[in-house]
Amino acid sequence: MTKKYDAIIIGAGVIGTPIAYELCKMGYKTLNVDKLPDAGEGSTAGSCAIVRAHYSTEDGVALAYEGFKYWLDWENYLDNVTDEKGLAKYMNTGSILIKSDGHDWRKVQKHYDAVGVKYEEWDVDTVKKHVPPIDMHKFWPVRRPEDPKFYDEPTEMLEGAIFCPEGGYVNDPALSAHNIMRAAEAKGGEFMFNAEVVDIRSENGKVKGITLKDGTQIDADIVVNVGGPHSFKVNQMAEGVWEGCNIKTKALRHEVMYCPSPEGYDYLNDGYHMSDGDIGCYERPEVGNMFLIGSEDPECDPQEWVDPDEFYAGKGGPGRDNVLTDAQWKAQCYRLGKRIPSLKVPNQPKGVVDLYDVSDDWIPIYDKSDLPGFYMAIGTSGNQYKNAPVVGRMMAELIDACEKGLDHDKEPFQYEFKYTTRTLNVGFFSRKREINYDSSFSVNG
Amino acid sequence: MRIYVCVKHVPDSAANIHIVDHLKIDESVPFLLNPYDEHAVTEAVALKQQMPDSEIIAVCLGKKGAESTLRSALAMGADRGLLVETDAVCDSMATARALHAAILKDGSPDIIFTGKESIDSEGMQTQFRIGALFGFPVATNAASLDLTAGKAVVTCELAGGRTRTFELTLPCVIGAGRGLNTPIYPTFPDVVKSRKKPITTLALSELNVSAAPGSAKIVAMTPLVQKRTPRKITGAPSEQAAEIIRILKQEAKVLS
Repeated sequence: MTKKYDAIIIGAGVIGTPIAYELCKMGYKTLNVDKLPDAGEGSTAGSCAIVRAHYSTEDGVALAYEGFKYWLDWENYLDNVTDEKGLAKYMNTGSILIKSDGHDWRKVQKHYDAVGVKYEEWDVDTVKKHVPPIDMHKFWPVRRPEDPKFYDEPTEMLEGAIFCPEGGYVNDPALSAHNIMRAAEAKGGEFMFNAEVVDIRSENGKVKGITLKDGTQIDADIVVNVGGPHSFKVNQMAEGVWEGCNIKTKALRHEVMYCPSPEGYDYLNDGYHMSDGDIGCYERPEVGNMFLIGSEDPECDPQEWVDPDEFYAGKGGPGRDNVLTDAQWKAQCYRLGKRIPSLKVPNQPKGVVDLYDVSDDWIPIYDKSDLPGFYMAIGTSGNQYKNAPVVGRMMAELIDACEKGLDHDKEPFQYEFKYTTRTLNVGFFSRKREINYDSSFSVNG
Repeated sequence: MRIYVCVKHVPDSAANIHIVDHLKIDESVPFLLNPYDEHAVTEAVALKQQMPDSEIIAVCLGKKGAESTLRSALAMGADRGLLVETDAVCDSMATARALHAAILKDGSPDIIFTGKESIDSEGMQTQFRIGALFGFPVATNAASLDLTAGKAVVTCELAGGRTRTFELTLPCVIGAGRGLNTPIYPTFPDVVKSRKKPITTLALSELNVSAAPGSAKIVAMTPLVQKRTPRKITGAPSEQAAEIIRILKQEAKVLS
């Protein structure tokens, strides 16, 4: 049996669902297919869902700042749809970027000025006033606990931080994708779960449709790869697509830790999102008055590039499977323990292990492909959650423009932001680009 | 007061445990301080706060890697560590004899803490065997401890939520249960301090361990096969909550 849609979107995470939603609003008949049982259950669920503006490129900052406006206006963005699971909430904590050698914060500040991001400069005393348990010594360079120098007494102080009052996190990333799915369904979008794509079919040099593991064939003139950590595998299924990308993607294993907040510090209600290149960590509050501790990929940390199917099946062994490791637990928690000396670190690791879909330069690919009708929103590198609603709109407009004859490779599509008055050259995210050395080559983007 | 805490290096309960040759687990998984032993260390530290002249010695029988578990105990507040190193898999008779010999060699205990069980072998015997070797009284699954007038008053949790309170002469052996305290966890400055605390390593063969009159060895292991039949609970949130309570009471029987 062959069914027919205008567009098939592979993936129903936080990027796949808004692409469907926006295409539906433009009149496309869409189908999202996902191998998991529900929307947002893949790497979206493992996302720290941080909403912050600092990126290493001006376009990155602009995109993130535009994204804020969507999260702040969530109900309206969803067209007031009802979700039986409730709505995800954006928690505005404010965002502290520690001025350190680990971040090119002067560049970020320049981009903030260019884009018009609101911020304050805080000296050490101001940081301490807002974050009472903090120790503002300089610990740079980032090391691992196995290195004896990790325990050296610091002697210098940091100079302060850049504080953005607009910043925080979304309390339930999987639910946010589910919300967008319900909004898309209200506009006619369809979703199919427990459906694994095994082939992208093409005919006469154009995409024709997909084949599922159970043999079901579904046709559409448009297929969009939003496969997250599986993106490179999906690209390899489509004729000429993988070969046609100058920038490739692969799956990187990442651990995020939970540590209880120190006694007497209500981090959940009084804490800030903090990005701290000096210790290679970022933190945000988590339910249960916990610190959620992410890694900013310091050079001394190992990188495990894994097969996503093996990883999610719990295969590959310690350090390659989906279980936290003691070594990384200690690395991330002890690093934060330097900054927050009263942080208590349990013996048993607690947290989340998931995969990033990382591109060669840690900047995503939002683009068409060498196979007409096949598009990609991939390589989100652990830093695109916050941009998802904007990316949904941008991808829908890009797809529409290309289907109407635009040669995006020659004349890159220009995306007009809806809230902030800027135009974004979508060619910035081209698969054909050379590696962008302005990137931080990390989760910071 | 000289306080010994027997700790065990066990696989992380959150790890992907695989059984090799139907006989043992794949030990490449993370290992850490047995969770019940965390309560034992915490109680020892609380006693030391009452009696600052006390010394807490964490003792562990295990492979070289077990040193990391001793480091965890030191970061939690133990003063020094004693590792009895062996690659052998020891049953509770051999373990108790090794720990007994190591403690005897080190000094004379006023109180010995263990966890009520280890989460890997779940034998629940070692504390009793240590007590027997020393000739000390033993109380296990302790939920409270009060040291007064040279006695230990220990309330132990029994099955079904019952408790029983014992008065033990000192020295004694106490198997810590979950109800005893909330484990204290180290801060980074505690970890830094613990790095300077000494750990003495002894080979098991260096100790004068008497041969056990018997032994128990594992001849087969099978993994837990969970037969789960998920079902969806539907209805309004209040109906769903009521249904969950009904299941917990009538089917799972974990609520009364």
